[in-house]
Amino acid sequence: MFKYILRRLLLMIPTLLGMTFLLFAVVRFAPGLTTAGGQFAAGVMKSRQAQRRQEQFIARRLHLVGKNGRPIALPMQYLLWLRSTCEGHFGTSLEYNEPVLKLIAQRLPVTLTYNLISLLLVYIIAIPGGMLAAVKRGGWFDRGFGIFTLALYSLPVILVGSLLLGFLANPQYLKWFPSAGLHATNTQNMTYFQYLGDYLYHITLPVACLTYGGFAYLVKQVRGSMLENMRQDFVRTARAKGLKDSTVLIRHVFRNSLLPLITISAGILPGLLGGSVVVEQIFSIKGMGALAYSATYSRDLPVIQTIALIGGVITLLSYLITDLCYTIADPRVSYD
Amino acid sequence: MGRVLTPLLVRFAAVYILLVALTAVFVPFLANSHPYTIVILAHNGRPAEREFPLFRTLTRLDLILLAVFAAAFIYGMVHWRTRRWCDLPRRRRVRWRWLGLLAALAVIASILIAIFRHNVLDVRNYRRMVRQGRAADAIFAPIRWGYAGMEPLRKNLINQRPSRAHWLGTDGDGRDVLSRLLWSSRIAMGVGFVSQLIALSIGLLFGSLTGYFSGIVDLLSMRFVEIVESIPTFFLILTFVAIYGRDIFMIMVIIGITGWTGYARFIRAEFLRIRRLDYVAAAHAAGLPLWRVLFRHMLPNGLTPVLVSASFGFAGAVTIEATLSFLGVGVPPPTPSWGNMLNAAGNPTTVFRWWQALPPGLLLFITVLAFNIIGESLRDALDPKLAVD
Repeated sequence: MFKYILRRLLLMIPTLLGMTFLLFAVVRFAPGLTTAGGQFAAGVMKSRQAQRRQEQFIARRLHLVGKNGRPIALPMQYLLWLRSTCEGHFGTSLEYNEPVLKLIAQRLPVTLTYNLISLLLVYIIAIPGGMLAAVKRGGWFDRGFGIFTLALYSLPVILVGSLLLGFLANPQYLKWFPSAGLHATNTQNMTYFQYLGDYLYHITLPVACLTYGGFAYLVKQVRGSMLENMRQDFVRTARAKGLKDSTVLIRHVFRNSLLPLITISAGILPGLLGGSVVVEQIFSIKGMGALAYSATYSRDLPVIQTIALIGGVITLLSYLITDLCYTIADPRVSYD
Repeated sequence: MGRVLTPLLVRFAAVYILLVALTAVFVPFLANSHPYTIVILAHNGRPAEREFPLFRTLTRLDLILLAVFAAAFIYGMVHWRTRRWCDLPRRRRVRWRWLGLLAALAVIASILIAIFRHNVLDVRNYRRMVRQGRAADAIFAPIRWGYAGMEPLRKNLINQRPSRAHWLGTDGDGRDVLSRLLWSSRIAMGVGFVSQLIALSIGLLFGSLTGYFSGIVDLLSMRFVEIVESIPTFFLILTFVAIYGRDIFMIMVIIGITGWTGYARFIRAEFLRIRRLDYVAAAHAAGLPLWRVLFRHMLPNGLTPVLVSASFGFAGAVTIEATLSFLGVGVPPPTPSWGNMLNAAGNPTTVFRWWQALPPGLLLFITVLAFNIIGESLRDALDPKLAVD
């Protein structure tokens, strides 16, 4: 097992290198590269001096020029940039004037927490739903459910978010939920459970926005996977043995259908991370998505580059973790 | 989802998409502040004369779209008229010839329009002229407002609820919401079409070459696909948007070059299967050049699964464009898009104008749903495993 993990981690290195190369190329060939950043930030026109300082900063950051002011060759630029990135120097944000790493370290946990909650919720709702649709295959429930999930899958987050916020968190209509942030203002007076309740209360709408799309996607997979397994010989054998239908379904069919679902979860997480940009913008949450958005808006290149890189790393890690979970769920698979 | 989607539903989806596409082409004739024709009465010593402001102010883009549509329409007629010819090779030959001819004509017409046509800016307010009796005999488009045609702001006709004059009300700048809704179908369709064309071309080239050569080429290229895929798509798109700007054509290109990996995978898988078939060996033995084997013999047989991918891709592209515009980093104003119209419905925490939010949101939803329905039904039709079930 240890050897396998080590091998997978080593295999991640070329992919990571490729990713840095891709991001470097994208940023390096940007038009007006050194003039980028901060023009749109809060509508502040920068003085010429500040602008010049910033240009020099970007030029140094991307190693366009050396310490003596001479231009550096392109391959060397990449290597130098790679070195400082590997050392953890992701640069300073142009907008916030703080180290990028610090900004992301503040905001990543916020986003990851509610993303993982919604991932969990997706599975909890989708598995019974998919099972039911598979059992009642061809019936009206299945048909209706199929169209319903397809519609749910097609619903744009921007519409759902706007409507939820507009109707359920708006004093004009119903003020059931808070409209912004993750916490009430008086958190320091709360006990632990009050704090938790407050948090759950605040993330209800954002999590609902993130969950329904993943649910609609996963339910189809559960149903397909269940149907696939229901046709297998071992199910017929189990039936022939005289087992109850529910036993066959849960002990035999479901356990085998679980395997593809594990793999899928690795694909859902990046989607949720991307979706959190919209959700955080709508619900005014200060997470990584909001950071990505503001960096896009103000052309804050170091931040947006690092976020894309970290998003990629999270994706790769989640692939690794799901593959490890696979060995636990399926005794037939062994990596040693 | 075998047999979940009834044929009726699929037909509805197809008709809806056709309608939206037609709207995208013909929207200047549906919603325009310039009348088809009007007689400006005599004033300042000038005689009364009949004018055709709508036709005069058609932009280059309008004309190019009309030319392309005309070519597509003629080809559709040819296709339809030749459907009963039993001689398949001859039918195919005739169709190809027509397709080539019409495509060439459309391209030439577009280039000529782009060179010789200049967009006309006509700022006269024809509605007011008619109201004040300075013009007569006017025939307006069904909706008398263009996408930027504002109500006079001094009367403060902003954020009006639906009324007789404005069927869906007006927005924060006093512009007619219904007209903007129709105009934005052009953005949605354009972004979906162009971006998927770009994605498809990249994916086709990449997938066919990797699938055909397999071996080490395949190994390396698939690693590259994995690298692109492992960055969350929306973050990658935001990176591109931050760097290359918010121009509408840039958005199309960005969605295209971040969304080709699915096509590449599909086509690679098909080519890996096809390259072992006899007719490919026969084509090689006949001494055909490689590109001909790849694109004339192998590609048509590997293209069908791509259709599924294309319709889902189209839906995705429309959603991404709307999302970017919603966030304010997509289509720049005043160009309407379903996304920025939804955003303009007000900051929902204080005042939420649902009559501005619902129409663009629902239209976006139905469009995406229609493309997904088509994709699902195509997949059902192509997937033999589900058909047996």
